[in-house]
Amino acid sequence: MVSNIYFSQKFQIRKLGDSIVKEYLVKRIALAFITLFTVATLNFVIFQVLSPYDPFTMILDPNFTPEVKRILMEQYGLNETLEVRYVKYIQGMFTWNFGYSFLSKKLVVEQMAPKLANTILLLGSALVATVIVGIPVGILAASRRGSKLDVIAIGSGLLTWGVPIFFIQLLFMFFFCYWLPVNFNIQLFSIAGMTSVPPPKDTLTYMADVAWHLSGPLITLVLASFGSWALYTRNLLLDALTQDYVVTARAKGLSERTVLYRHAFRSTLPPMVTLIALSVPGIVTGAMITEFIFSWPGIGRWYLSSMNSGDYPVVQSVLFIYALLTIIANITADILYGLLDPRIRVGMRR
Amino acid sequence: MSFLTSKENRKLFLRKIKNFWLDFRRNRIGLVGLTTILIYVIVAFASPWMAPYHPIRDTRLAQGYAMPEWVTILPQNADLPRTQIERIYWTVSENPQLIDIQFGEQVIVNYLGGQIKPAHVWLIYNFNYPHDVPPKTFQTTFSWSTDLVENLTYSINLGAVRLNDTVQPVWWLDSNQDGGGNAFINSEGIETLIMIGLDPVKDNLARRIFTGKGEYGLLLHLVFMPASEDATCRFTFKNGELRILGLVHGVLGADNAGRDLYSQLIVGVRISLTIGLLAAVISTSIGVLVGVVSGYTGGFVDEITMRIVDILLCLPVLPLLLTLMFMYGKSPYYLILIIAVFWWLGLSRIIRSQVLSLREMPFIEAAKAAGAGRFYTVFRHLIPNVLPVAFANMVLAVPGAIITEASLSFLGFGDPATSTWGRMLNHAFSYGAFTHMAWWWIFPPGLAIVCLCLAFVFVGHAVDEIANPRLRRRR
Repeated sequence: MVSNIYFSQKFQIRKLGDSIVKEYLVKRIALAFITLFTVATLNFVIFQVLSPYDPFTMILDPNFTPEVKRILMEQYGLNETLEVRYVKYIQGMFTWNFGYSFLSKKLVVEQMAPKLANTILLLGSALVATVIVGIPVGILAASRRGSKLDVIAIGSGLLTWGVPIFFIQLLFMFFFCYWLPVNFNIQLFSIAGMTSVPPPKDTLTYMADVAWHLSGPLITLVLASFGSWALYTRNLLLDALTQDYVVTARAKGLSERTVLYRHAFRSTLPPMVTLIALSVPGIVTGAMITEFIFSWPGIGRWYLSSMNSGDYPVVQSVLFIYALLTIIANITADILYGLLDPRIRVGMRR
Repeated sequence: MSFLTSKENRKLFLRKIKNFWLDFRRNRIGLVGLTTILIYVIVAFASPWMAPYHPIRDTRLAQGYAMPEWVTILPQNADLPRTQIERIYWTVSENPQLIDIQFGEQVIVNYLGGQIKPAHVWLIYNFNYPHDVPPKTFQTTFSWSTDLVENLTYSINLGAVRLNDTVQPVWWLDSNQDGGGNAFINSEGIETLIMIGLDPVKDNLARRIFTGKGEYGLLLHLVFMPASEDATCRFTFKNGELRILGLVHGVLGADNAGRDLYSQLIVGVRISLTIGLLAAVISTSIGVLVGVVSGYTGGFVDEITMRIVDILLCLPVLPLLLTLMFMYGKSPYYLILIIAVFWWLGLSRIIRSQVLSLREMPFIEAAKAAGAGRFYTVFRHLIPNVLPVAFANMVLAVPGAIITEASLSFLGFGDPATSTWGRMLNHAFSYGAFTHMAWWWIFPPGLAIVCLCLAFVFVGHAVDEIANPRLRRRR
């Protein structure tokens, strides 16, 4: 009987939640488009309206005749008025047509695809590994409060605030890529790149090679950011463990394990998912520095080198992609939040 | 501020600060952080007196990648030479007739003519090199000029010698005209090595000359080859300097160009602190203002502000900062401004939610009933009540700003004219600190960042615990 009432109530809440979720999602996606539009406009303003540089100074040979210059300007569509260029540019951005790179004279989209895949490989594996390491450490710390592990979890959480990611990576590089190989002739991790030169032909060996090259940056990214996860999980779990339903569960005589995982931990999942999504932009920028240090051929490194050589179409597109990644992560988090916690009236969260 | 006007209020405020300090004093981690910050602040103020050299302009202070001086405590490093700078005072070692030499501030060699066969003058400067370990580089500079050159070809030959050994030529010049200039001879310079016929890749000139501790001489050999009896020539040499670059240098060694790393580290303290504190203060002020106005006004203003915050939160901050730095200038003050512009977002949301709950409190109601105006309510009642949270957030924003600056400089987008810790690490990474195992170049700047940021995190944590009593219960 009791369970029947409980289910019907739950069902009603779910139904109510659904309509609100739908409405909220529509609002959210509309906001996402506005955000993308803002980013694109900002790009245009930064690079083509306010820019103190002539977009061609970096790539044009000063010996070019005005005629050649004019033809080039026409090819890149830079001879039109600002308004026409803006409309064309916005159209291009939203139809996945990012124009041609100044430097390589190739389509930006074509060049971007493999680099984006590399970045997502690095990002995705780092995110998964960080979660896999961070959450269990947090759970253990919360369940053994005051123990050494707890101190380590709190300490590493504080460290992530104070230690820049690139310093951890430089130290890692110094010890494992230079100090150990030189003094003891042990090459544990690769210094740079994504594959050996030349890359192995056999698919299996190739994958192993990539995994070996991935391991260094991956370990440093996990080291640099698992602490905040551990600390966050621990604090959420400690909060949950003081709730009434946990006291009830304990009073029922359930084992501590069941209480911890089935009652307390479950309630921490929705905020955790939010954290995963919110950490994506940080990981994106972290990946940029990682790509720079470990020479990982992703879009972050491409972005830096393109900026230094004044290849604005590429820089614009990468900024746009970064914003897109952030927005997708945020929307995914909101949807997951609604799925994991039907009580939430998503639209009213703010 | 308005709430400090009356005497009563001032007393109340002072008591609040005193209570805060009493709470803070009990927090050991917070005290550790505060002490560290104080040390950094003192260093920042004293940096002009503490840094012995200019961090960027003073190059060639030692051999590139020179180790710190204190490594000579270890027995295997005991004999490593420091930089030896000698002012050159020439003395004459062999002088034929017909040549008049005046010594003094500058050495003047006057060839008077009167014969047709070549005449040689040997000037020598003796110095002591007290180490068995040879240096890698030495550098000689002097300025010279010739005038009154008539019917004569002269040659200047510079050589170095260990006493009672053969002379190793270093540099020479032949001419038959008036002239002069500054000679700068670098023993590792490719043109020097090619001039004297050594292999620029394999051979090291300094190692050939310095074969152990003892007396050495720098030789200046002048040859006058007159074409007729009335030939004349006059040489002037001045400002001679010999610099034997040391393999150890200063407190923290040297970078690739022989700059003093200790000075770079000390100078970096002031910049990092300024950037961190100013960016935090500005961004916190913006955040508090936006949060309070948005939360208190509500309605349309609130909706618009929060949507703008939503949009801005989706921007990729670090790439955008990089772009703005690259396009519109690299000055640290500009950097402070653009960091501040992107850092108030999170805080404004927190403040807004606080104001939303404060707005419904009875004391605001009472103030309104007593006839308080809008501005009065905001500045007198709302802002003082959100200040503790804002302060805790501000302290925690400092390490964020410092790390952002360091990341930008590390990626090579910082101000090239300012020495910052990020720039030090960037140079260490790009100019071979790793291949030279120069740990004294990599560790100090990184550790300086870490210590400063952790100090602020500790203090922020302590302040947060006092400002949010809920946290205190949990621990």
